[in-house]
Amino acid sequence: MVTPTPVLNNMFALASHLTSTALRALCVAAVLATGAARADDYADVNILVRAGKLAEALTKADQYLAGKPRDPQMRFIKGVIQTEAGKPADAIATFTQITQEYPELPEPYNNLAVLYAGQSQFDKARAALEMAIRTNPSYATAHENLGDVYAKLASQAYSKALQLDGGNTGVQPKLALIRTLFAPDAKGQKPGTNSQSSAPVTAAPVAKAPVTPPAALPPIAATAAAVPVAGAEKEIESAVLNWAATWSAKDMTGYLASYGKDFDPPGSVGRKAWEDDRRSRIMGKSRISVKLSDLVVAINGSKAVVRFKQAYSADSLNVSSRKTLELVKAGERWVIVRESTG
Amino acid sequence: MTWNLKIAVLAAACAALPAAFAALPAAFAALPAHAENKKSSKTAGAATTDKRKSILRHAKAQPAAKLASREDRDGQPEAQLIDIYKLIGQAKTRQALPLAERLVREHPNFQLAQLVYGDLLTAQLGPVLAMGNVPDTTAKAAAQQLAELRRESQLRLQALRERPAPGLLPSQLINLSAQNKHAIAIDTSRSRLYLFENSTTGLKLLADYYISVGKSGIEKTIEGDLRTPLGVYFVTSNLNPKSLKDFYGSGALPINYPNQLDIKRGKTGSGIWLHGTPPTQFSRAPLATDGCVVLANPDLERIIRAVRVRTTPVVIAQSLKWVAPQTIKADSKPFEDALKGWQNAKSSGDMTRLMSWYTPDFSSNGKTLLQWTPALQAEIKKLDGRNIELKDVSYMRWTDTHDTMVVTFGELAQGAKTGQTKRQYWMRQGSDWKIFFEGIIG
Repeated sequence: MVTPTPVLNNMFALASHLTSTALRALCVAAVLATGAARADDYADVNILVRAGKLAEALTKADQYLAGKPRDPQMRFIKGVIQTEAGKPADAIATFTQITQEYPELPEPYNNLAVLYAGQSQFDKARAALEMAIRTNPSYATAHENLGDVYAKLASQAYSKALQLDGGNTGVQPKLALIRTLFAPDAKGQKPGTNSQSSAPVTAAPVAKAPVTPPAALPPIAATAAAVPVAGAEKEIESAVLNWAATWSAKDMTGYLASYGKDFDPPGSVGRKAWEDDRRSRIMGKSRISVKLSDLVVAINGSKAVVRFKQAYSADSLNVSSRKTLELVKAGERWVIVRESTG
Repeated sequence: MTWNLKIAVLAAACAALPAAFAALPAAFAALPAHAENKKSSKTAGAATTDKRKSILRHAKAQPAAKLASREDRDGQPEAQLIDIYKLIGQAKTRQALPLAERLVREHPNFQLAQLVYGDLLTAQLGPVLAMGNVPDTTAKAAAQQLAELRRESQLRLQALRERPAPGLLPSQLINLSAQNKHAIAIDTSRSRLYLFENSTTGLKLLADYYISVGKSGIEKTIEGDLRTPLGVYFVTSNLNPKSLKDFYGSGALPINYPNQLDIKRGKTGSGIWLHGTPPTQFSRAPLATDGCVVLANPDLERIIRAVRVRTTPVVIAQSLKWVAPQTIKADSKPFEDALKGWQNAKSSGDMTRLMSWYTPDFSSNGKTLLQWTPALQAEIKKLDGRNIELKDVSYMRWTDTHDTMVVTFGELAQGAKTGQTKRQYWMRQGSDWKIFFEGIIG
């Protein structure tokens, strides 16, 4: 159970969500690249951010940065705090600096794009997203955000073409902000992580862990959970397949029912705004197909993490990506409480 | 954090694109071929065009580099637009997008470029079903503007696809003199203006530009009819742009509407200009003016540099007929003989013989033939038996319900060093050519 495997990609997200000691141990193990102590610091600040305690979060982040001023992860989190606190200029400065020092990281570019788009600077947003994609061509969030920016730019171009007073009408695109550096989206170890890591590797016993390639892990994780919870695994699998089926069928009621009431919508949007957005995105397609493969289920009591390959196609688009769903058991049903790419 | 993959990995999106844009008008797909036609047809007028092309290439190689000079900029935004269309025709929308982005950055007021840019952005997301793939609500709200842009696009493409064959000239431009360094011919059915250079080797096509004409079209007849006149005209002045409202863009070249044929036909109105576009619009819709001919500012500036007041002809035709220069010469032989006959009659000093060349309804700036005859008699007397010589003879033929010639020449008594520049309007009556207007033009 202490195999540090299934969470490598998703460590921070999980750290803030799953409090089970086992998983926490996994996180700590996985985090050794940046130091175990730090992971807790990041998580603590993230928890404050999620709770909306931005001033407190900023103080804590600044305290940390006083000791390690160049730490990219905490600076990134600080940028997120500044964004959420409505200080786009500060946030832009923070993220810009990270892009200059770590041009190979896609996340800061993505968030710069979110900020630029928020200021209606869509050409800049587009350029930033293209940089994000250049650094990581399979960066799904950046692709999706870029799609929204393209749509907005197209609408602006059409307004200019037709001399409509439409430069400021139309819906502002809601781009997805990345909340943590080295998020699941961005696969593999980032060069910046290691080079920046000043904390000594103290956890000698687990030092081998990162050597294991993440791709080889899922089967181990599955077997780890398999024996006691074989029945639960079936339930979870069918919940996830049902979720994909309702999505394909554009069955909004069924689709939204797959998410639990504790579901944490990505970005800082509320549940209602998220549902509206999902509705418009899904109902706006004439055809959707979502096919899942390579499902790997990791169960821990009433919680589960499911990883799989998702082949999504809608109208003329086809995208394959990896996805992670976190589910909890609510009564008789397994419902989604967190959804992320990677 | 992504919960819905709205846009694909770009490679996947790209794969879907050719199909998407294939739905666009076949015009695009046809482009690469006719673009080559353009090249070959322009070899006749090589120097300037090639220079422009090389500048274009240069600009492509170094996007940030400033263009060499103003002189090279005429026609360039359209050339960029056509490059974009060509790539779309080849389903290379990824390559087309940065070109479109650059074009709208350089010319944000080029509405057609904005439309194509919008389409190319849309193509990154999904299928583009029509040129100007705007949402339905927008298409309804701006139906006219959209239709006009599509028409402009069509006309620009058509004018480039259907090129005049090398060496052919508009049938009106029969015989220009050394005084006419340039000539302008406008084909309103194509929304196109052709600029020619006249040299010892004859006329050659320098460049051609998209134009807009009257809201109500062509064949201006009465003042306020919002139509552009058809006929043979001359540039009468070059207005200082500083004296003009922004609306007229970088300058204005009034032409002599109504000309003597128009006056004879009782046409009214005035103030027909070739002029530029306001700051808000790079070009205007095909049918947009109150009767003027409107060009994009860089194109107009090129024309302003070429024209000479009073001598540069501006032929405005519904549809130009392109013919070989030899054919023109042969066709105009009867007229040349008539002009010679008039010259001989005047040289002879025989008033009766001379008067037979003028129509009964002749008019010269308000004077009837009877009122004007004493002036002609005085000229004959002054000649005192000397022959007359005609220098720098130019004539242009205008044929609609009547067959007419607009003739300009310098008239000198034999041996004299100076004379007067005269203009005559002739009309064919059966097989005979007769003069219905004669006047001195400075």
